[in-house]
Amino acid sequence: MDDLFDPPGNDWQPVSPALARMRHTVLAVGTVVAALVVVVGLLLLGAPVWLPVLLLVVLLALAAWGWVVVTRNARWWGYAERDEDLYIKHGAVFRALVVVPYGRMQYVDVQAGPLEQAFKIASVHLHTASPGTSARIPGLPAAEAARLRDRLTSLGEAQAAGL
Amino acid sequence: MTDPQPSAPPTPTTPDRPYKRLSPLTPLVRSFVLVVAVAASSWDDFLRGDVGPLAWILLAMLLAGAVYGAASWLRTKYWIEADELRVDTGVISRQSRRIRVDRLQGIDIAQPFVARLFGLAELKMDVAGAGDREGSLAYLPLREAEALRETLLARRDAARARRAPGDQAEQGPTAMPHAVPEHVLARLDLGLLVMSLLISPEAFAFLVSALVLGGVFVVLGNLPGAAVALPVFIGFVLTQLRRLSAYYGFTVSETPAGLQVRRGLIDRNTQTITLSRVQGVVVSEPVFWRRFGWARVDVSVAGYGSGGGENGRPAVSTVMPVGPRNVVLWLARRLLEETGSPDPDEVVLVPPPPRARWVAPVGRHFMSSGVGPHLLVSRSGFLNRRTHAVPHARVQSLQLHQGPWQRRLGLADLHVDSPPGPVRVRAQHRDAADVRGLLEEANRLARDARTRLTG
Repeated sequence: MDDLFDPPGNDWQPVSPALARMRHTVLAVGTVVAALVVVVGLLLLGAPVWLPVLLLVVLLALAAWGWVVVTRNARWWGYAERDEDLYIKHGAVFRALVVVPYGRMQYVDVQAGPLEQAFKIASVHLHTASPGTSARIPGLPAAEAARLRDRLTSLGEAQAAGL
Repeated sequence: MTDPQPSAPPTPTTPDRPYKRLSPLTPLVRSFVLVVAVAASSWDDFLRGDVGPLAWILLAMLLAGAVYGAASWLRTKYWIEADELRVDTGVISRQSRRIRVDRLQGIDIAQPFVARLFGLAELKMDVAGAGDREGSLAYLPLREAEALRETLLARRDAARARRAPGDQAEQGPTAMPHAVPEHVLARLDLGLLVMSLLISPEAFAFLVSALVLGGVFVVLGNLPGAAVALPVFIGFVLTQLRRLSAYYGFTVSETPAGLQVRRGLIDRNTQTITLSRVQGVVVSEPVFWRRFGWARVDVSVAGYGSGGGENGRPAVSTVMPVGPRNVVLWLARRLLEETGSPDPDEVVLVPPPPRARWVAPVGRHFMSSGVGPHLLVSRSGFLNRRTHAVPHARVQSLQLHQGPWQRRLGLADLHVDSPPGPVRVRAQHRDAADVRGLLEEANRLARDARTRLTG
C-alpha cells in the first residue's frame, strides 16, 4: 500500500467480509444461469458441440476474473472515524479517498436491499450540500451501520456549520 | 410596517390587518398574447358587424378568461404577519401559502417584456428547503415590488438577528431599508459588450465554418450554393443579439442585502446575491480576450444551482459578462468578502509534472492548481481559461482520485466538492507524492476556517 492511501492516524476499518460473500454469490449464480442459457439454448438450436464449450470456457474465465476483482475491491473498502471528519477509501483499480467533515453533513442514510438483508449487511451514505460528495460505505454489519449512522448524526448536529 | 406580534397562534381566518392585492392589470399581462391575437384577428369583423362563429367563440373565451382573471385577482391577497409572508390564492379551490421570512435566501425582481410595458414586475422568492425557486408573486407595480423586497429582506435580517444575537454579519440593514442609497460598483460598458460578442469563441467558430462552407462552394464553382452559409450567419447573429439584449445595461451594485445584479434590454432582471451564501467564483478568460485583458466572472451561490447558460441564454450565475481583468478580479474579491476577500491571483499555482504528458499531452500545459492560505484554486483550458476558486470555509468535502494510468505515472487528482453551481476546483494530475499532503492541508485549513466562521 502506498502512502497516498495511508490511514489517517490509526488503521482503516474494513467492511464486513459478507460484502465479498454477497457479491461472490451474485456472481456465481449469474454465471451458472448464463451458462445454462448458453448450453441449453445452443444445443436446442442445433449448434456444433464445440461452440457451447468454447463459450463456457470464456464465461468461466470472465467469472474467475470477476471473482478476483470482487475480492480485491472488497478488501480496498475502508473507513476511519476521527474527531471531526470521516475518511473513506475505496476502489482497487480506480482508487479514491474521501474526507467528509461532520460539520458538513446534511443527513446520513442507511440502506439495505433484500439481498443485503439476507447477508445481514447495510450501506451507509453520507450527504453534504454538494452532489459530488460520493461518500458511501457498503457492506457494514447491520448493527455497525446503525451505530455509525447514530454517531455521525449526533456529531453532525454538534459540529454543524452553515453553508 | 407592523411590529412583530407577541406570538399569536396562527389563525386560518382572514386577518384583520390590512392585506394587499396584486396589480389589477395582472390578468391582462398574463393573457396579453391571447388578447392581442383575438383583437387582431377579429377587430375588422366586429367593426363590420360581420361576426363569424369563430370570432364568437374567441370572444366567449376571452370573456370567460376575463371573468376568471378578475375573480383570481380578487381572491389573491398577500400580507406580512408574524414573520411570514402569507399569500392566499385560488378561485375554486383556495390555497394559502406561508413563506417564513427567515427562510428566504434571496428575492429577485423579474420584468418580462409585457409586464415591463405596464410598469409591472414579478417578485421571485428563493426559499430554503423548497426544491426549486418557489414563491412567486406576480405582478406588482415595480415600485411596490421593490419596496416589498426591501421590507422582506429587512424583516428576515431582523428575525435572524433575534435568533442569533451574536451574529453581527446578518445585522445592519434592520433600520430604514428604504433610506440606504444603492451604490453602483460596476457597470458594463456597451461598447465593450459589443466588442466582446464580436471577438468571442462563437464568432471565431462562425467565421471558420462560414469560410469552410463558402470556400467549398467557391472551389466547386457553385457560387449561389455559398448561400448555405446564410442560415449559419443568421443563427450566429440571433444568438449574439439575444446575449446583447440579456446583458444590456448590466449593473452590479451594493445593497444592504448583498450585491445586486441588474440586466436586460427587453426582459429586465434583478437578482440579489447574498454574500454569506457565496460558495466560490470562476474567472473566465477566452483566448481572444486575453490580449485585450478582458475577463468574465461567475459565482456559485448556495441554492441557485447552475440554471441557464445553455443556448446562449445567460446564466444566473454571471456577475460580470465581460470587463477589464482588474475590475473583474476586484468583483471576485468582493464576492468572497465574507471569507476575507482573498485574491485568487495570490495563490501559487503548480502545473502537473512533465510525465503527465502520457495522460494529458496538450492539456497539461494549461492546467495548474494550488492551495493558498484562504483559497483552493485550479485553472485549466486554453480556448477558455477558467480559474476556479473556493474559499476553505466553503469546502463541503475533499476527494483524492487515482486511476490505473495515474498510478503507474505517480500522479493523482484532488477534487473539491461544492454545492451545485459553476465552480469546480479540480487539481488534476498532481505529483502523487504531494497530493495526500495537499488533501490534509486543505482539510485542516477548512476546519480552521469553519471554526472561525461559526465562532
